[in-house]
This record gives sequence, C-alpha cells and structure tokens, in this order.
Amino acid sequence: MPTIPVAGSEEFANGPVSPQETRRVVGDSLRLHDVDPAAVDAVDPLTYEVIRHRLTSITEEMGEALKRMSGSVVVTDCNDFDAAIMDEVGDVVQVGLYNTELAASLDMAASWTLRNRCRRPGIGPGDMFLCNDPWVGGGLHQNDVSLFAPLFVDGELFCWTGAVAHQVDLGGVSPGSWSVGATDVFWESLPTPPVKIVEGGQIRDDIEDVYLRRSRVPKLVALDLRAKIGANNVAHERLRALCQKYGAATVKAVMRRTMNDAETRLRAKLSELPDGSWTSVAHQDSARAGDRGIYKIVLTLTKAGDRLTFDFTGTDPQVDGLINCTLTGLRGGIMPVILTMLCGDIPWAPGGIYRCIDIISEPGTINNCTFPAGIGKASVASGWATTNVATECLAGLLDAHPEHRRRVMSVCCGTWDFALLAGVDQRGGGFVTMLCDSMAGGLGARSDSDGVDTGGLACIPMGRVADVEMNEFAFPMLYLWRREEADSGGPGRFRGGVGASSCFIPYDSPLGGVHLVVSAPGKALPLAAGTSGGLPAGTQYDVLVRGSSIRGALAQGWIPSSLEAVGGDRELVAAHHETDLGPDDVYYTHWQGGGGYGDPLLRDPAAVAADVRAHKVSRRGAEEVYGVEFDEHGHIAGEATERRRAALRRRRAGLEMEGASS
Amino acid sequence: MTLQIDDNLEQRDDGTVACRHCGTAVGIAAEPLRDARVRESDPQEAGPSVRAEPRHFTDRQVILRQTFCPRCLTLLQAEIVPADEPSFRTRNLARPS
Repeated sequence: MPTIPVAGSEEFANGPVSPQETRRVVGDSLRLHDVDPAAVDAVDPLTYEVIRHRLTSITEEMGEALKRMSGSVVVTDCNDFDAAIMDEVGDVVQVGLYNTELAASLDMAASWTLRNRCRRPGIGPGDMFLCNDPWVGGGLHQNDVSLFAPLFVDGELFCWTGAVAHQVDLGGVSPGSWSVGATDVFWESLPTPPVKIVEGGQIRDDIEDVYLRRSRVPKLVALDLRAKIGANNVAHERLRALCQKYGAATVKAVMRRTMNDAETRLRAKLSELPDGSWTSVAHQDSARAGDRGIYKIVLTLTKAGDRLTFDFTGTDPQVDGLINCTLTGLRGGIMPVILTMLCGDIPWAPGGIYRCIDIISEPGTINNCTFPAGIGKASVASGWATTNVATECLAGLLDAHPEHRRRVMSVCCGTWDFALLAGVDQRGGGFVTMLCDSMAGGLGARSDSDGVDTGGLACIPMGRVADVEMNEFAFPMLYLWRREEADSGGPGRFRGGVGASSCFIPYDSPLGGVHLVVSAPGKALPLAAGTSGGLPAGTQYDVLVRGSSIRGALAQGWIPSSLEAVGGDRELVAAHHETDLGPDDVYYTHWQGGGGYGDPLLRDPAAVAADVRAHKVSRRGAEEVYGVEFDEHGHIAGEATERRRAALRRRRAGLEMEGASS
Repeated sequence: MTLQIDDNLEQRDDGTVACRHCGTAVGIAAEPLRDARVRESDPQEAGPSVRAEPRHFTDRQVILRQTFCPRCLTLLQAEIVPADEPSFRTRNLARPS
C-alpha cells in the first residue's frame, strides 16, 4: 500500500532551527539565559579548560547514573544510550561517549519543545519532556526515548540536559517494537512528540500511564524512565554547583566557547585537507519480511575550503517497510563518523560542528522519509547505512592527505544483527530483550594497520557486549558458543577486524521455547565496504536449525561446537523474519566485520600466516584471497606463494593463466 | 606537484591519474578510473567471507565488480553491488589553487 500523506503531520516535520529563530518564536513567554560575546572571549584559558572538562565529566556521570538505575541489559551491560548537555536553545555543547547517534539530534527536539511548548503547557523549573518521535528529533526510532530537562538558574532557562536510551519494547505489532512486517509507522510503536512527563519535579501519573500502557514490559520501561530522570537530576545538581562556583555567565561563556572552539578547530582541520568530492553508495537488502529488494543511499561528499557538504541526491525513495529513517536518522548517521574520524582531538560539541557542514537531502527518501513511513528499524537500517556511506567518503577524503590519512578507517560492521527474544523467562515473568551480541562487530581496517577484531561499532565508542553469563542469567537461553569467525573481516593489505557469531537455544522457559524476531540485512550483499582496493567484510549469515539433537548432547554432558554437530534441519534465515524457537531448535547468528584497506595481494604473507594461526583467516581464505601457500608444516612456502600470487593477480582480473608463473 | 589520492592512485600536475605501484595512467582527474580494467564476476569469488549465494535473499543479480591497474593488475577498487547499477564510487580531487 502506498504511503498516504497525513494532514497535520507537517507540524512534526522538524529540522535544525537557528538560535535566533528559536529565540524569536519563544519571545517573552520564557526568559532564556544569554551571555555577551565579549564575556565568551574574556574567559581565561585555565578556567575554560577546567569548566569544559567538568562538562565532559558530567555527561559521563549522567551515563553512570543511567546504568546504575536501569534494569535493562541493553542499557546496563551494552551502553545503548547517551547523554548530552545543551545550551538554552538546544545546541549541543557536549555529547557523551556512548551511542553518539542517539544524541545527534537532541538539539532538534529541544528547539521544537521550546517553540511549541513554551506557552502551553509552558516550561518551568523541574520539568522534563519525553519524546520518541523521530520526526521531531531526539532518538532515531521510536525505541530511542529521549528525556530532556531545562535547568533554570535565577529564573532563566540556563541550559538543557538530555538522556536517550533504547527501550526494549514500546508496543507495535511485533515484540520489541520491531514489526518486521511493517509497511508504515502505524504497524509500529506510537511516536510521541515532546510531552511534559515530569512537572515541577514530580512524575505526572496520567502521562506516564499513557507512555507505559503501550509496552509489553512496562515495569522495565518505567525503571528506565526513572533512570533518565536520575541522569538529568545528577547533571542539574552538578551544573548548579558549577554555576555557584564560577557564576552562570562564566559557565555559559565556556559552553559558547566550547562550541566555537569545535567549529574553529574543525574548520582548521578541513582547511588542511584537499578540496574535492567523493561519491559512494550504501545498500540494504530487504525493507520488511518477504521483501527481496535492495535499496541504496548515495552520497557525494564535497569538501571545499573549511566546509563539508553531504549531498544525498540519488538516494532511493522511501519504501513500504521499517528501514526508512527521518532527518534525525540521517544526522545521526553522519555525526558519529565526523566525531570519530575528524574530531579525535576536538571537543565533541555538535552545536559547533554542525556549523561546518551542509546537508542536501530530498524529503521522501529512505534516509529523510516523511510521515507515515515505517521507521521502526531506522537507527540500524537507513541511519546505519548513512553511517556506512559517510565513513567511506570521509575515508576517501582523509586518504588524500599525507598526515591525516592515518585517521582513515574503512566501514565498520556493516549492519546491526538484530535478534530479539520474547516470552516467559525462567522466573515465570514476561520478558522482551534485544540481544546486543553484535556490539562486538569488526572495526574497519586503517591505512596503516588492521581493523580491531570484534572491536565494536563506529557509532557507539563505549558500546559493550553483555557477558554470555549475564544473558543466560537474565533470559531463558543457553549459549553453545559466542566466538570470532574466520574470514569475516574484509581482506586487504590491512585486514578489516573480524566479526563473530553466537549460537544458542531456548532454555528453562516454562513455555519450552521463546519467540524470535530477526532483522539483519547484509545477506544478499556485504554492507561494510573496503577502501582503496580493500574488499568488503563478510556477509551476515543466520541459520535456524529445527529438530536438532541438542538436548541429547547436553544430557550426555557434551556441548556441540558446530552446526554440523547439532543435527536437525537447517534453514537459511531471511533478513526479516519472525518465528518461535522450540526446545529442540538452535539459532545461529553471524554478524559482520569491518572492510579491508588496500589490495589483499599486497598483504605481508607473514601477517596472513599469523591470521591463519589465530583463526582470523581460514587456510582457504589465505590461499584464494591472499594467495599465500603453506608447506606441510604450516609454514609459508615463499616461491609457491609468489607463483600463486602472480597467477591469482591475472586470474581475478580475468586474464589468461598463461605466463602467470613467470 | 603529485597528489596522493589513496593507497594505489596519484594525480599528477597534468591531471593524469596514475597507479602508484607501476606508474601506468589509469584515468584523469574527472574520471580517475576511466582507463582501468574492470571485471565483473560472481560475488563468491571474493572468497569465503560471502557466506551464501545472493539468490537466496534477492531476485536482483549481485556481482563482484573489481577494478584493476591495467598493467600491474593491482586491485584499485572492489565492490559487491546489484549488477544493474553503475558504479557510484568515484572521487574528484581538485588541484590546489
């Protein structure tokens, strides 16, 4: 069914708004704190650095508060959240190191709230606003619920703090709000524009009931709500103390200068890089269950002087499915790459960084979709693909500079391997959880070194994978293994970091099994591209084994370590799938590594041999892709390797084999 | 002044783009891989990292498209993409003013 425009939805079609415009709309309904530009210049360097680092540490404390209060493994063990400090109009002064894509558009949410809530119901001390409407801002899909809070100092709105975390279920057709059959947003969790859920320091019960009523796990979501309230409260306590010690004007001056500093330093770095344009493409296979299409995001990155332009012209139109993302997702796809590849030595102040970039994108495309397109998977679908294509283009830009090319990194783990379990846990309670094992994705290869094996994800610098034991304790499942997978890193002169796999069974649920939702593309084609002649990382590969002999093996005290050993009937799992796992079923999921860098035939044979010994590369991969031969003792056969490489060089280019050994 | 484009390519003063390994011209600034050798093949030729055939998941043909230096046959660019799409991957380095 084609997406039908919804009258009135344009009110929520938000975009970045200038501070001046926000101030103009707010008018005299609210006193917004400000500071004179001269005061910004007047802050001495020592005070600036002390307060700036304090702001950074406050975002870390917000993260700690969130983790300590949450009861969701996704938050406590996997760090799928973030926190930020914004100025009085919402510009982000400091973003935390957790999931940076979640905080990339908090500015849009805070600004929208100022412009649309300042008069009715009003914004006052002790208030907090909840939002999970990605057309407005905040998180990238409905599961990313943001809670942002104005801090008032001396009767003026001094700044905002915000916390965003992935909630494991907020309703919709499928458990986990990951409705794999969705054709539009009405299959999914209800997007909620900014609503005052905390008023004068008290939770509004009526609003909380509206929020929680939609969830399959309301108690867990309620706990996470309080964790986010706690994170904001911690931040406000620290910021008040900072204002008391240094004065609000000085703290605000530091906020301004932090953003100015980020802008100035990024412009300086961009000025050092060569001008030019880099075009690339990121694909996704399957928009929903049963769909066999492939969709593309095209990016031309132009660097001119001290500015970057991200032009997404050529990107596919939005689709009937759950893979679209809004402008929030597009920005969330870009900002993590800029932070990690360009801003390692620059304050992570998106409010200043955004001043250096322009975005050209047509509304109605898969990474800038209009209401009511399906967006249930936005963060790890079109948002993630935006990250992939931005990574590739920025890597090309950096590669053209003799010094900055050390910052090059190929595309990291090409997609999120989504596997969601739901049902009744071993304690008899209902549960829903997203497995976050693929937080251990492979990082992309560098221009001078291999990618980090199972090193994480580009967008979540502090992402973690929960211990196997924690997942087994919390949920009715038993792991057969979780391990790195050979050949999953993209081959290259420098190899992409390998990804990994998990294999598990339902275990100890009173129902005997669990419900499984799968949303994991990258099966028809790999999504983590290589750079400079490097090959892409491996494809996503999920297998469901029905009617296995696993129970018998366990009864004999034996844990199988291969799919062959569990018997049963194997089914290749499509990118989107929903089913039940019975007591004799086994689920195997294998996520991606990072892309390679440079021609694999230029890789040092000794490095290939070391990879084989460490099970990072198989013997077959070593021979067929890297052209390395081994003798009967497993040592490199030098002359045979030279001959094989010469032959392979011609064969892969489609040339005759004759004369290859010369 | 010669500009390095990436691990394999450089752009010369006259706008020629050449292989850094053997010096062979492979294109011009506006089309850096214009004269390079392109080969399209089955994605599983990329090696064991391509775990399953694309036909299990899509009805579109998927290919491994590799671009080589025509002389030394160094792999300059590799992509696994739908066969009916042109290669979008390109770069255009401006000359320093």
